[in-house]
Amino acid sequence: MLKKYRYFTSILIIMCCVNVTFCMLAEEVNNEMILVPAGTFTMGSNFRSADEQPGHKVHLSGYYISKYEVTNAEYFEFWRSLQEKGVIKHTPESYSHLPQIGTWPERASKFPDHPVVGVSWQDAKAYADWKGMRLPTEAEWEKAARGYTDRIWPWGNSMLPHANTSEENDGFENSIAPVGSFPKGKSYYGAMDMAGNVWEWTADWYSDVYYLHSPKQDPKGPDVGSWRVLRGGSWIDKLPRCSTTFRFYLYPTLKTSFVGFRLAKTAETDKK
Amino acid sequence: MRLWLKMLVILCLCIPITETQAEEDTHAKYVEFVEKGFRALFQGDNPATIKAFNSALAIEPNHYEILHYLGMIYAEDSSWNKAVEVYQRSLELQPENVEVLYSLGIVYFKLNQWEDALTPLQKVVSLSQQHARGYEVLGKVHVKLRQYDKAVEVLNKAITLKPKAAGNYNELGTAYLNLKSYDDAIKNFKKAIEYGPPDFAEPHFGLGTVYQRSGNQQKSREEMQIYQRLQKVAADHERFTRLTRVDPDNLEGWVGLAKVLMQQRKYKRVIPVFQKCIELAKTQNASAATIASFHHGLSQTFINLKYPKLAINSAQKAVELVPKHDLYYNTLGSAYAMMGDVQNAIAVFQKAVSLNEEQPYYHLNLSKLYDSIGQQKLAKQHYQAYQLFLSKQKAKK
Repeated sequence: MLKKYRYFTSILIIMCCVNVTFCMLAEEVNNEMILVPAGTFTMGSNFRSADEQPGHKVHLSGYYISKYEVTNAEYFEFWRSLQEKGVIKHTPESYSHLPQIGTWPERASKFPDHPVVGVSWQDAKAYADWKGMRLPTEAEWEKAARGYTDRIWPWGNSMLPHANTSEENDGFENSIAPVGSFPKGKSYYGAMDMAGNVWEWTADWYSDVYYLHSPKQDPKGPDVGSWRVLRGGSWIDKLPRCSTTFRFYLYPTLKTSFVGFRLAKTAETDKK
Repeated sequence: MRLWLKMLVILCLCIPITETQAEEDTHAKYVEFVEKGFRALFQGDNPATIKAFNSALAIEPNHYEILHYLGMIYAEDSSWNKAVEVYQRSLELQPENVEVLYSLGIVYFKLNQWEDALTPLQKVVSLSQQHARGYEVLGKVHVKLRQYDKAVEVLNKAITLKPKAAGNYNELGTAYLNLKSYDDAIKNFKKAIEYGPPDFAEPHFGLGTVYQRSGNQQKSREEMQIYQRLQKVAADHERFTRLTRVDPDNLEGWVGLAKVLMQQRKYKRVIPVFQKCIELAKTQNASAATIASFHHGLSQTFINLKYPKLAINSAQKAVELVPKHDLYYNTLGSAYAMMGDVQNAIAVFQKAVSLNEEQPYYHLNLSKLYDSIGQQKLAKQHYQAYQLFLSKQKAKK
């Protein structure tokens, strides 16, 4: 009981300190939602890893995807609302040994426009629910990154450093970059950081053979699974792992310093 | 008395603070080790991954995911018993985790403990009916246990989920062979050859056996010869790989490896091998002809991979080192032709003809190029030369 009291007191103190700065910074990143119109695109590739094969046509209904990865500042709002209700859940992991990322909630004021990391798939989903949105499906993520042409990276096919990866000379060596730091790296639809910076949770379970049998219209991933699909690569990955088709997966309970997420929402006109 | 009471209150408040702080510190250590583990995992550093994940689990032992990742690394290092131990710990925490059950099944399979492999794999496919890998390994286990009817059922399910997996057709062929269903066996071994890599030897052995049992000795001999040839190439591959690992400066070893990889059509893998040959040949003062042959090999590899620019570059180096080798000009010409540079291609094919007029295929190449630019007369002349020298070649043989 006493422990709980001490916990709340410390949280309240931190929240008071963080709040003023946070309110000023939260508006700096306008995480608008970008419309990805209904249409067909090529998902996967015949020339890459086995689980990316075959390249196949998929038709998606219209949807919105957030321009940026969800930031520390945005996630802090959600976390604070839970704390105020006395709900101690969905707290991002702290990285005291990585000062360039830092501990939670201090990093919400120190790095407000960095993507939130150290969040599990459940945390990401809870945030999306709170915002009245959802996580993108794997297909939605790929279309938003790749466009209707077959781009290897969101910006095209050239191996230019338009992303925060583990490669040298991208300006963010061994650290996360503020969202939108690579304007030239934007995707066909205008989404930023879809290669590198942080891996992004998607809604789907992972299956290595899903593309062989997936529906051609609005695929939503297998019904069951152990791992959730992650897309886009991160600051600790080489450029090839940051391609628009590369598939990665982790246990949904894991929280790491290289995984964040972005949001999606079904376009109203397509709901009908 | 009052002071004493104040002190007591402060002390009481401090005890939980210190406890909480200590808990936070140990969790921070756990997080640090997990992060280190993933970094090492992504860099392929298995010893560092094992060390980091074990350190993390020593602090917080009940993370089923970290236990699974640790097990997979043990399995990768062939530390099967350690893998079994951590998988079982992971399953105690989450008994129906399909991926851990699958991993456990694989390890038992590697340990030749077929009966032990059955239970986790059967659970995998009952929990996840689309788990292609689960059906694959379960099918293999049934084959090993001589439960051929069950193997057929399970492998057919695996093939439905993964229609181009050569290994599954080979296992299914084996099951049908043992069920004396020879037509089905032949059909599946042939599918295994169709979908498998060019060095996939086993289905040829299977076909050879089926043909032998069904009385077709000629076909059986043919298939067994292919099998033996592929086995020899595989053995050479193994031998040269070991040799180059033990003695990395052994040029003969690298040359042997390059030849084997070319035979196996593993073009992407042969590139660094030829590059190593060139590097060693230069440091060991090998002859220009030797170095040129490696550049030529590299050029042929790039042509097979459809990288004409790189092929031109390598062939030019070969030609510079040995300017009177007709074959090198032919390869250079092929690379130019692939690039669509017809003029240069014609020029170097003519050079090849001037060095060895009686090689029919140089004329055939020239004939095709002249035909592509509408010079029918020259195209015809070279086609006739091709036919003439080809018939001479056949007569000599």
